[in-house]
Amino acid sequence: MSSPERIQPPVFPFEPRILTPVRSLHLDSGIPVFLIEAGTEEIMRTEFIFRAGSLKETVPLVSSTVNLMLTEGSENYTSEEINSILDYYGVFSNFFSGKDTAGMIMYFPNKQIEKVSELAYEILFRPLFPGKELSRLMKKRFRWHQVRMEKVQNLAMDQFFESIFGPQHPYGRQVKDIDFENITSGLLKEFHEKYYSKADMAVIISGRIHSETINLLNKFFGRIGTENTYIENPAFKIAGDARKNIKIDKQGALQAAVRIGSSTITRTDPDYPGLKFLNSLLGGYFGSRLMKNIREEKGFTYGIHSGVSSLGLSGFKLISTEVGIENINQAIEEIYKEIRLLQTEPVKPDEIEIVRNYMSGELVRMFDGPFALAESFKAVWEFGLDFSYYKRLAETVKTITPDEIMRLAQAYYKIDDLYEIIAG
Amino acid sequence: MINFTSFRLNNGLKILVHQDTSSPLIAMNLLYIVGSRDEDPEKTGLAHLTEHLMFSGSVNIPEYDRPLQLAGGENNAFTNNDITNYYLTVPSENIETGFWLESDRMLGLDFSQRNLDIQKNVVTEEFRQRYLNQPYGDALLILRPLAYNVHPYRWPTIGRDISHIQGITLSDVRNFFFSHYSPNNAILSLTGNITPERAYELAEKWFGPIPERSIPPGNIPAEPVQESERRLVVKKEVPSDALYMAWHTGPRKSTDFFSLDLLTDLLAGGESGRLYTELVRKQNLFSEINAYITSDLDPGLIVLYGKLMKDTGIEDAEKAVNELIDRLKEEDPGQDEFEKVKNKFESSTVLLNTSILNKAMNLGFNELLGDPDLINREVENYRSVEKKTLKEAVRKYLINDNCTTLYYLSSRIN
Repeated sequence: MSSPERIQPPVFPFEPRILTPVRSLHLDSGIPVFLIEAGTEEIMRTEFIFRAGSLKETVPLVSSTVNLMLTEGSENYTSEEINSILDYYGVFSNFFSGKDTAGMIMYFPNKQIEKVSELAYEILFRPLFPGKELSRLMKKRFRWHQVRMEKVQNLAMDQFFESIFGPQHPYGRQVKDIDFENITSGLLKEFHEKYYSKADMAVIISGRIHSETINLLNKFFGRIGTENTYIENPAFKIAGDARKNIKIDKQGALQAAVRIGSSTITRTDPDYPGLKFLNSLLGGYFGSRLMKNIREEKGFTYGIHSGVSSLGLSGFKLISTEVGIENINQAIEEIYKEIRLLQTEPVKPDEIEIVRNYMSGELVRMFDGPFALAESFKAVWEFGLDFSYYKRLAETVKTITPDEIMRLAQAYYKIDDLYEIIAG
Repeated sequence: MINFTSFRLNNGLKILVHQDTSSPLIAMNLLYIVGSRDEDPEKTGLAHLTEHLMFSGSVNIPEYDRPLQLAGGENNAFTNNDITNYYLTVPSENIETGFWLESDRMLGLDFSQRNLDIQKNVVTEEFRQRYLNQPYGDALLILRPLAYNVHPYRWPTIGRDISHIQGITLSDVRNFFFSHYSPNNAILSLTGNITPERAYELAEKWFGPIPERSIPPGNIPAEPVQESERRLVVKKEVPSDALYMAWHTGPRKSTDFFSLDLLTDLLAGGESGRLYTELVRKQNLFSEINAYITSDLDPGLIVLYGKLMKDTGIEDAEKAVNELIDRLKEEDPGQDEFEKVKNKFESSTVLLNTSILNKAMNLGFNELLGDPDLINREVENYRSVEKKTLKEAVRKYLINDNCTTLYYLSSRIN
């Protein structure tokens, strides 16, 4: 049997296709709609997104409870009817509520567009928040909460946000047992009326879009009146904790969850794309320095990850891992060592090339198919940006220099500024 | 409709190609017909540990990930009871890098003691992170050896115990690799921006020269029919009591599988599933409840699990579940409800087909089941299930004598 030369095939250059195939228009009621036409299957994704995250709440849990109660009965349908009808029409729905935004995503066969539009209107704009269902939900949520608080990952994560954003700010406030007793239908109705409002929302539609989509959306969403278009922004101040190191004890834990990081710039900052690059290099992909060192050389952990994310009012960077109790100190020491290296030694060109190609590949994946496109669009829409953000990111990925990486590491990863949370 | 071309190399490697020019990427899926079922009962976790070592260097390539990242690619893998599945996506320009990497690790591994030691530690941390350091994380580790007496499904893929993982030697890995990793024991599927001709040419070039290897027969003992119910009670440091129930099913290839899969959808598909509607929403007995069917090749399990509300007694919870199931033995599901689970299955199939990677994985798995074109007949197969057959399946499988029940109780006083 003849054997070929098993030498590495050449790597060809490839370009992320950052197209802007987003068509935008307004419904008769003024609600902005973005259409991303792509895909091979007769299926659509429709996302309704509101600025109704926990940032807007004055009482903890209100934002997430409003979102969870949307399917618990509307003016025309009981909760059982809503859920059965959604399933009957083959709809996969995903209700989400985060720190900034909340809403609903539906995937469905495009021929069902009429029924889906009608139900979406009922769910989003005509929920009743019945008291009996609410009290049941809160009992359930309390049980979920108790299980959640058994996990070191959650203990560390919640403390991390409290430390970097402050215990009073909705970005940082931790949920307490008592919070589950304070939610009333009235509070939910008030929040819903204020923030599930056409004044600051968008509809993002992608897939093989049915030709009647806009007509049908207008039928149900086109006549929402101009009342209740008042968006209130509660005034909260972000104030990080003075204590940088916090240890949370969890009896009997075999591993500790470690979270290291701090608040940082948002997606709108010119340095953000460069920070993304630096982050990938440090711990953002499988071949990153932290993965190589702490998993692949030392075997301390199943995984270590570093990320940079952006919320509306602040970004944050975060290194996270779960390590065996016996290796906590060594692992943390290695994390700081890797950060210092990035601040003092220029990165070699071959490593830059790997990160460059890896990130370019990611950009290709972020624009592959209608649903990935919709996600990518949402991620910039939230910040008032458009796809030109990804062009800037692609350009930075292509051209960033070792000096620039070192500058960013020095400016954004000052070790004295980093919070260190350990739960275990 | 997913059109595909299939061919086989002389060394036995089966290849499936589905061209989808709407994507700038190519997905490559390499399924090896080896899983934790092929392990020695005293050395469990070996299949999964071998998966980890597949990333630690092969005959001509010191490190798997680096060249793939340079080519703009991304990859991962998983091991289960029956298969070990490796997959990657890469910009179509650079698919040859994928062939080079995957064929080299099929040719042979680096087998270094140092890498083995490191990966044993990584997997030990994975064991702790996923199973031991999570509330209820070990429930299936407890349930499996109760439900199975002799079949290798009685241990989990991660391994029965950390000591098994720590005891694995380099020669264990080497023997396991050469007994199972072979072109004649693998299925390669490609989807995305690639023609069948190009796939054939590259497959011949890179996989063609790898010799066929002899695969020892599995000799896997069939699990005897369970004849009476099995029960166990454990007490653990968890916030609430939980109920686990498991029933043996028929083999994956039997038509009963479609009925039972639809049954689990009826019970637990979405918010409108019967378990959630009845036991969470109406009766308030559980804070969460779910059920699924394992898609193991040999007879698998229907697993049902739920966490109890504070005031629910565990016997009452179990009784309520049994009453709900017994009703399905007597009454047909409503027409709308029956249509609903079929519609939902159809729409989930369409949704999965929007991803080239899912299509590649599905083609490979259906080839393993005996016919890759099953991917195009799946919806029809589920559509053709009748209410009568569903009811018969419930009567046949969801009976006490076929059930294993675990009470996973909280040791806390609350």
